[in-house]
Amino acid sequence: MQSKFEQLKTEALLAIKSVADKMQLEDLENKILGRKNGELTNLMKGLKDLTDDARKVVGALANEVKKEIELAMENKKNELLMLDWSKAIEKERLDITQPALPQTESGTFHPNTIIQKDLEDFFTSMGFAVLDGPELESDFFNFSAVNVPENHPARDMQDTFYIKNHPGLVMRTHTSSMQVRAMLKQGAPLRAIVPGKCYRNESTDPRHEHTFYQLEGFVIDENITLANMKGVLEAVAKHLYGEETQVRLRPKFYPFVEPGVNGEVTCFICKGKGCRVCKNTGWLEIFGAGMIHPNVLKEGKVDTTKYQGFAFGFGLTRLVMLKYGIEDIRHLQSGDLKFLKQF
Amino acid sequence: MLISYNWLKQYVNLPSTITADEVAARLKAVTVEVEGVKKQGELLENVVVGRVVSAVKHPNADKLKLCRVDVGADEIQIVCGGSNVTEGMLAAVGKIGAKVQWHGEGDLVELVPTKIRGEDSFGMICASTEIGLGEMFPLKDEKEILDLSGLADGKNIVGLPLAEVLGLNDTILEIDNKSLSNRPDLWGHYGVAREVAVLFNRDLKKYEAPKIVAGKDFKLKVEIEDAKLCPRYMAVAMSGVKVGPSPKWLQERLLAVGSNPINNIVDITNYIMLDLGQPMHAFDAAKVGNNIGVRLAKEGEKFVALDEAEYILSENDLMIVSGSKSLGIAGVKGGLESGTYTDTTTVIFESANFNAASVRKTATRLGLRTDSAVRFEKSLDPNLCEVALQRAVELALECCPEAKVVSKVVDEKKFALAVGPLELPADIFEKKLGVSIPQKDILNILSHLGFEVKVKKNSFSVKIPTWRATKDIAIAEDVVEEVARFFGYENIPAALPTFPINPPEKNTLRTLERNVAETLVKTLGYNEVYNYSFVSDVQVAKMDDDLAKYLELDNPLSKERPFLRRNLLPNLLENVKNNIENYPELKIFEIGKVFSIKESGLRADSNGSDLLPKQEIWLAAMYVGKKDATPFWQARRALENIFSELNADFQIMNHDIVQPWEHPSRLALVACGGQTLGVLCEINPMVSQNLGIEQRVGVLQLNLSALVEVLSKQKSKTIYKPASVYPAVTRDLAFLVKKEISHQQILRALKKTSDLLKDMELFDVYHGSNIGEGYKSMAYRLTYANSERTLTTEEVETAVKKVQEVLVKEFSVEVR
Repeated sequence: MQSKFEQLKTEALLAIKSVADKMQLEDLENKILGRKNGELTNLMKGLKDLTDDARKVVGALANEVKKEIELAMENKKNELLMLDWSKAIEKERLDITQPALPQTESGTFHPNTIIQKDLEDFFTSMGFAVLDGPELESDFFNFSAVNVPENHPARDMQDTFYIKNHPGLVMRTHTSSMQVRAMLKQGAPLRAIVPGKCYRNESTDPRHEHTFYQLEGFVIDENITLANMKGVLEAVAKHLYGEETQVRLRPKFYPFVEPGVNGEVTCFICKGKGCRVCKNTGWLEIFGAGMIHPNVLKEGKVDTTKYQGFAFGFGLTRLVMLKYGIEDIRHLQSGDLKFLKQF
Repeated sequence: MLISYNWLKQYVNLPSTITADEVAARLKAVTVEVEGVKKQGELLENVVVGRVVSAVKHPNADKLKLCRVDVGADEIQIVCGGSNVTEGMLAAVGKIGAKVQWHGEGDLVELVPTKIRGEDSFGMICASTEIGLGEMFPLKDEKEILDLSGLADGKNIVGLPLAEVLGLNDTILEIDNKSLSNRPDLWGHYGVAREVAVLFNRDLKKYEAPKIVAGKDFKLKVEIEDAKLCPRYMAVAMSGVKVGPSPKWLQERLLAVGSNPINNIVDITNYIMLDLGQPMHAFDAAKVGNNIGVRLAKEGEKFVALDEAEYILSENDLMIVSGSKSLGIAGVKGGLESGTYTDTTTVIFESANFNAASVRKTATRLGLRTDSAVRFEKSLDPNLCEVALQRAVELALECCPEAKVVSKVVDEKKFALAVGPLELPADIFEKKLGVSIPQKDILNILSHLGFEVKVKKNSFSVKIPTWRATKDIAIAEDVVEEVARFFGYENIPAALPTFPINPPEKNTLRTLERNVAETLVKTLGYNEVYNYSFVSDVQVAKMDDDLAKYLELDNPLSKERPFLRRNLLPNLLENVKNNIENYPELKIFEIGKVFSIKESGLRADSNGSDLLPKQEIWLAAMYVGKKDATPFWQARRALENIFSELNADFQIMNHDIVQPWEHPSRLALVACGGQTLGVLCEINPMVSQNLGIEQRVGVLQLNLSALVEVLSKQKSKTIYKPASVYPAVTRDLAFLVKKEISHQQILRALKKTSDLLKDMELFDVYHGSNIGEGYKSMAYRLTYANSERTLTTEEVETAVKKVQEVLVKEFSVEVR
């Protein structure tokens, strides 16, 4: 009996070794270990006919043989699995350069939205409120309140759309129209920006649009100086164009500020060396600014003996065109998806 | 405005080491916008005066001539296309090596020997625009070459460099007029010279003209009706005047700054305007008589001006008159009849000051933005009148030595200038600018500019020079600016302000706009567009909408788009039309203001009761798919995603009032928190057809201004409950039902069937030929659960059976 177990073991281990695939292994397993008719199972059934002592000895051997066969089977199984897997790897190889299908097309924001959002977030981080205001504005808030009385030559600087049968209304020519509204509503101290759509009665060409976007800002507090204005505008310039960016102020007349300046930054394309975009000057004019005119503060019912402040206005549309190198301003409101889908 | 560098140097002694470019750069940094610096005759190298010896037809070209041209040392052959080239004429000849600009445009081209239609050509006979002289000699005809025959003046100038013959050795600074709108004193060379003198720390020459020696023969009288409109009027008559060309120096001055010489008297008035900034006028005394009046025009009065055009005046236009005869529109333009011509022998010079607003109003209304009007509207110093008149008489005597003053110098005036003094606290400069400026610098700058400053204990007393006192400098801040710009903005250090760290007030509407845009772009792949706020009557008509509901621009840029949009659809539909060819599907949206004829809550001024028209921010999203016959669902998907992202619920309601552009049976109102604030629809195919769009268009419109208000009152929709530990059971149920039965009706009915029914999800709706006409197939997934125990199969079966019964009973469905 013992030798039968030994012989079975030898035969089984040999057979396991020569197995080539999973099916054969399963057949073999069934043949040897099958519950009903397995060779080992049958042999083990014979144990019950042995004497107690003999059964102890042979039984121990039988269990050992069984374990050994099972272990060999398990090892073979793993071996076959590894073999299968290594074959599968090649079969399952994917074209990793292919996109996921069906492709989902992502949408796009208008480039102005992108720049405006960036600046809104930047100014909010410095404690500025973001305001909005009417685009169809009264002559009063657009002009008179910001120190541009009727028949003042400064009105020439901004060709204006008027409204039929509403003599007191204009399409706002600038976001400065919100200055006095904000002062009347919130009073001083005040820190706010107003990004928004503005209108001027100008013929359109690649560089001019009758509809464009500005970003106005103003700060009113005690002891706010022109040096502070320069500080804030430098911070904006560095945010937009990098730490090395410099700001240059030159005098410019705006009726709502005194002193008034226009602001240039070092050209971010040529780093101030001079290129086509900055017309070889090394500078880009991107904002107007100044200390808020006392007449404007008075219109806003701000105590001018206690408070003073500065205001600035960026051409948001201009920033967009500079950032993306857009050659024709009219693309921005063309609704042309060949243009818009690029952003 | 053009400024001649040579003219400037008449008043400031600038050494030759300082260039015009440097002056321009400093002016730019401190005073005004200088747009360009142009050296006269830049393009005149190798351009000489040539005499056309012969000009015969080109053997191979009808429109070209073969010319022999004497250029002094040489005679050369040139092929020329000029329409006016004739034998004997003097012309501008570009020799080999000259650089010219074809037709006055584009890059410079260097002339080389060439063959034109088989004939040699060794240069070019030039048009004025081709050698940068277009302003000095305007072209009358495109093919006209520059005829210099008039320049010879009996001398032989053939072969001489053209620049030398024309006396072109000046440099011209181009100043942006808009940058001068606050500076009445900078509208002439003397004023600019005053700034330049301060910039380069040089002395400014005093402007001097001899006192006028009055005459007696001519009784001249001036009467001013309203001194507010005419604070000063000076006049003087001169007889023995010979009207003719002005001297060369005067012509050159005028030509250099783009003013065409006319005759000596007119040239003198123009010269003084360009010199001092004081506009002047000269009348023919024979047409005027002895009395001059300054009064308002009669309403509807007609007047023929120097430009030979007739103007219809209003009762607000100030006129210069003589008795009942109008001589000129005050400060704007003279009359044709009373002007100075070759037969004039006695002239009356006018040197006056008119009210800025009045001149501006008249000039703007008549469209006569003359050199005179643009100066008067800046508020000129009335003191200028006197020196201008003196200088005019001096020049007239120089041009016509036989002339003499025959009247007294009339000077009607009534004005007071606010010259101050202004009291400035000593610390105001540091307080406004944030930098300490040494007192001696402050005093130096101001006194150099003509301010008289007295230093007191804690303040400065600053008297304003008259030429700055009309409007420009009125308050302390104006004086601060003068100091700041000469001190140099580059010398003011940047310093970030310090604030308390108050968080800014939230702009919830902007946050909503961003949320909505982000959902559409990032979740659903929409493209954001920006459109004009204006629409055309054609667009409105195609929408079948009523123009009476639109606000209209009074002065639209083009007649094409004069109306203010009252919703976002017309322009978005135009976007659809323009893009649909290129894409299988379009997903676009716009967020922007729309304008209503109704009033809103915003006040139009600080104390009145007038309100602005309502202007709310709307979203409109459009979906068009070439294969999608029901884009309504895509619009609905946008709505669902937006509200899901906002964590809020919306309601859909039937719509009774159908706008003409809305599809009547694919239309719903959108509400939130019980308030209607949007529309979900397809565009009426009839309207789409009008617009040239063949596809169906799905639209979602939401009033974001209203939505933000509703949302601000709502609590968050999310209510957390611990998840049940007992499993839920789902059952799918499909049935046929009449088309008219709505999903909402079914939901309401099902909800009542069992407490165990926790969720009902519609997952399929099918219309098709294999189910009956007028029917649809609907499939729901029902979820049953009990939070306290596991459900038994029987319980679920009973509940589903109940559902089927209710559906059959209420809607006669056929369970599949």
